[in-house]
Amino acid sequence: MTATPKYRHHRDQRPMALLLVLACAVFGGCTGQAELNEEVSRPDTPGEGPSTPGGGPQTPAFKPAPVTLRSLLGWQYRNAIAGLLGAEAANAVEPPPDSAVNGFDAIGASQLALSPVALMKYESSAMNAAKVALSSTATRKALISCTPTGAGDEACLREFLSRFGRRAWRRPLSDAELATWVTVGKQAATAYDDFYKGVEFAIAGLLQSPHFLYQVEVGELDLMRPGRRKLTGHELATRLSFFLAGTTPSEELLAAAERGELNTRDGLRAHAQQLVARPEARDALAHFFDEFLRLRELPTLAKNATLFPSFTPTLASGMREETQRFLADLVWDQNGDFRDAFDADYTFVNQELASFYGLAGAPRTGFARLPLPPESGRGGLLSQASLLSLLSYQSTTSPTQRGKFVRERLLCQPIAAPPNNVIPSFPEPQPGEAPKTMREKLVEHQTNPSCSGCHLMMDPIGLGLENYDPVGRFRVTDNGATIDPVSSFDQLGTFQTPRQLGQLLRQHERTIPCLVRNLFRAATGHVEVEGETAPLLAMESAFTASGYRMRELLVEIASSDAFRFASPQEVQ
Amino acid sequence: MAPFRLNRRTLLKGLGAAVALPTLEAMLNTHGTAYAAGGTIPKRFATFFFGNGVVLNKWVPTGTGANWQPSPALAPLAELKDYVNVVTGYMVKTPDRRGHHNGAAGMLSGYPFIEVPANGANYASKFGGPSVDQVAASMIAQGTTFPSIELAISKSIVRGEGPTLQYISHKGPDRPMPQELNPAALFNRIFGSFTPSDTTDPRNQLRSSVLDAVRDDVRRLEGRLGSADRARLDAHLTGISELRQQILALPPEYTSTCTQPTPITQTNTNVNGKEPLEAVSKAMSDLVAMAWACDLTRVASYMFSGSVNGTVFHMLGQTQGNHDLTHDSGKQNQVHDSVVWVVKQFAYLLQRLKATPEANGNLLDNSCILFTSDVCEGLAHSITDYPILVAGRAGGYLKYPGIHVRSTTRENTSDVLLTCLRAVGANVASVGADQGLSNTECAAIKA
Repeated sequence: MTATPKYRHHRDQRPMALLLVLACAVFGGCTGQAELNEEVSRPDTPGEGPSTPGGGPQTPAFKPAPVTLRSLLGWQYRNAIAGLLGAEAANAVEPPPDSAVNGFDAIGASQLALSPVALMKYESSAMNAAKVALSSTATRKALISCTPTGAGDEACLREFLSRFGRRAWRRPLSDAELATWVTVGKQAATAYDDFYKGVEFAIAGLLQSPHFLYQVEVGELDLMRPGRRKLTGHELATRLSFFLAGTTPSEELLAAAERGELNTRDGLRAHAQQLVARPEARDALAHFFDEFLRLRELPTLAKNATLFPSFTPTLASGMREETQRFLADLVWDQNGDFRDAFDADYTFVNQELASFYGLAGAPRTGFARLPLPPESGRGGLLSQASLLSLLSYQSTTSPTQRGKFVRERLLCQPIAAPPNNVIPSFPEPQPGEAPKTMREKLVEHQTNPSCSGCHLMMDPIGLGLENYDPVGRFRVTDNGATIDPVSSFDQLGTFQTPRQLGQLLRQHERTIPCLVRNLFRAATGHVEVEGETAPLLAMESAFTASGYRMRELLVEIASSDAFRFASPQEVQ
Repeated sequence: MAPFRLNRRTLLKGLGAAVALPTLEAMLNTHGTAYAAGGTIPKRFATFFFGNGVVLNKWVPTGTGANWQPSPALAPLAELKDYVNVVTGYMVKTPDRRGHHNGAAGMLSGYPFIEVPANGANYASKFGGPSVDQVAASMIAQGTTFPSIELAISKSIVRGEGPTLQYISHKGPDRPMPQELNPAALFNRIFGSFTPSDTTDPRNQLRSSVLDAVRDDVRRLEGRLGSADRARLDAHLTGISELRQQILALPPEYTSTCTQPTPITQTNTNVNGKEPLEAVSKAMSDLVAMAWACDLTRVASYMFSGSVNGTVFHMLGQTQGNHDLTHDSGKQNQVHDSVVWVVKQFAYLLQRLKATPEANGNLLDNSCILFTSDVCEGLAHSITDYPILVAGRAGGYLKYPGIHVRSTTRENTSDVLLTCLRAVGANVASVGADQGLSNTECAAIKA
């Protein structure tokens, strides 16, 4: 991977999906970098994707991924309950934990069935939420516009369920569906001789229905392209809202869908732009970063308490907040070039973190932006204690883990599993022997041919970060020996600080395509398929053209053909 | 508390005559009646799993057949030796495409695991077929309130490589069975939510009606979907029907075996950054014993620690995560210490079952518990000499006193799964698929 001009991946238009398939095949045991530059075989059929400014002649024809049911993620479920029934009701729910597949909960939610225990939790959550919502006269009045004439007022019940059902299911109920839930409500109202008990049980039921628990995407026939499905306005409103705002569509968005405003790319784009301007968009993107960068693991991250007594849950949570504030500032407050995330010369700290980093000028309360002195070597995500801690073991650093994260998560270069039946040998120092640094201990990784194929991909990245200990503190010695942090990264150059690594990463030709793909995966609940190459390239181009504004990327993903269309799911 | 029976009339009175009633069979089917009324004593099955394997030279007992002596790792089982069959030298035969993944799925199910196409995204895999506990549940759980329970002790569970490493119980590739980590919550689930004896409150009957309506929604939706989503909604329907049964279930009748449970309040919250492993493990063992004694379930999976876990055995003075230790050739003593400690927790479960009388014996007499891991030795991810214990007598199906059987020909670990299944009355013809398939029991441990 030579130091290419930075426009290369936009001009070259190599489908990254194909590149990665090749990389996987060649890796076997990660034979190294050279193969990544091999030319990939290109399909004969020219691209025919509609409105794909990035699509060149080598791009495979646009064929979207199949439709699939996707269960709401835990935080989306909570937000949806809050949106429908209020914050108190949302506090009463306990949705089941999510399960990640291919690095994202959203992908797990598109593939895995709900377990019996999950359904149990949804049931008790729905019952609790409905009960809390109906418990006060004020919330009752806010929810139910009609005044019931008695326990058995069917008309009022029907009016309420029709309206609430449409919000909860993100589409109007059919007559048959409405009849079913009116019956359930009437049954409960009669049993308790209480109209509101009827409402309570009917709400609890609507919230257990698959139409609430899953993003149901069936689509409709696309007359322009037989064999392809076009997501309906309601389905798009749902996709759009859960992706960009992390919650159920607003009344306004549902109404816009019903007016057909989401049926065009421009219409979708306009509504996406409105959504990213809402405060909920910050929270939704923060959830992405929390998962993508593993920040959510920090509150429960364990470190050797004897070696790192300062690493408390409070400090760890502060580290998570540092990174979140840093990214939120860049994306939302500055609307800046997102590549700055890799090498910005400032960060956000509270008093505890400032003293942890040895930074002067800490705020008395809360977090504040502070410049990072150049001699600290810090700057950008990879210098933040959050990632440095997450990518270390409990007592030692792990150049391998740090490198693996950069390869897999930031560059989308999967690393093969270590071979079986290889016993690594990292002997303890013998008495009298000079202490060894991590670099010296990991020599076998570089020299044993069954290790070096992969480890040469990973370890050099991490070895350049060795001046930062398992909790991210600066150090000059490891194990009593002086650390040599000079390392190199692909053929881009050498580095010895995280900020320098960030500068190299910023210009790496895989960084932007990989970021786009990761956001797309989280947004759509699937790993991109070959037929989505053209829209993905278009997203990259738009992101580049915007000067790498994350908001623009969010809008671009949400209005992309890969977001609007789907293939039918196979029927056997 | 006196045994309680609900009659149909009480229930009808509570609901009021105007309410259209769904069927009530589930409510009338009280627990334990099958064998209380002279039926056979149920058999129970559990898997007890710990991640990252053992140190073999301290695991394999000396002597084979009846004349085996507990190895250092098995010392905590000395008093229970008669109830333990030790199987060594067995191999996971499914293709070893990735350490830990193959072992977990191969050992627990006999099916080759499935690699999810990643196309540059993070690696992920799924079980290729049902785990042995779910096969058992599908065949021996009839009439119990909970077809199976899944629980875990250590919270250090790998969540980043798909269901294979995250869960040990699976109904199929897309149907992992998430485990409960909190004993108090599991207690409440199992013992805390029966239909109350005072049925003037129609709540549970109405919850059941709601579920019926949800079921109809699911069925209507199924017709519009592709095969993969239909299969997921089929699982959804199964879950609804199980939940409905649980909501309508009556409390168990207390007997000399099923005594009124002592509420479990233990949670799984770290204390000063340390996992309360022993307290949680004991509470979960108590819970399994109580649930089995009352025949609320017959199947359990017990994930002491997961594949590739970073559990810190702090009570042993250790400070590093278990997986890191296993890959450090200089720290195998610490790995061994942790294995001994896990075996000790296993011994507590067995003791607890043994101390629960049932008929002329005890619960352990009527159980089969498979103790195993995802690798033989974590150091090199070996798969050719698995640590396997088969504890309990399974109603006389398994050899007693227990023996040590050592294969010198690397027999298929699925043979042991098949033996366990048949031991508890799940008369399957075979277990697993492809290279992991077995239709031959491990005859040596049969009585």
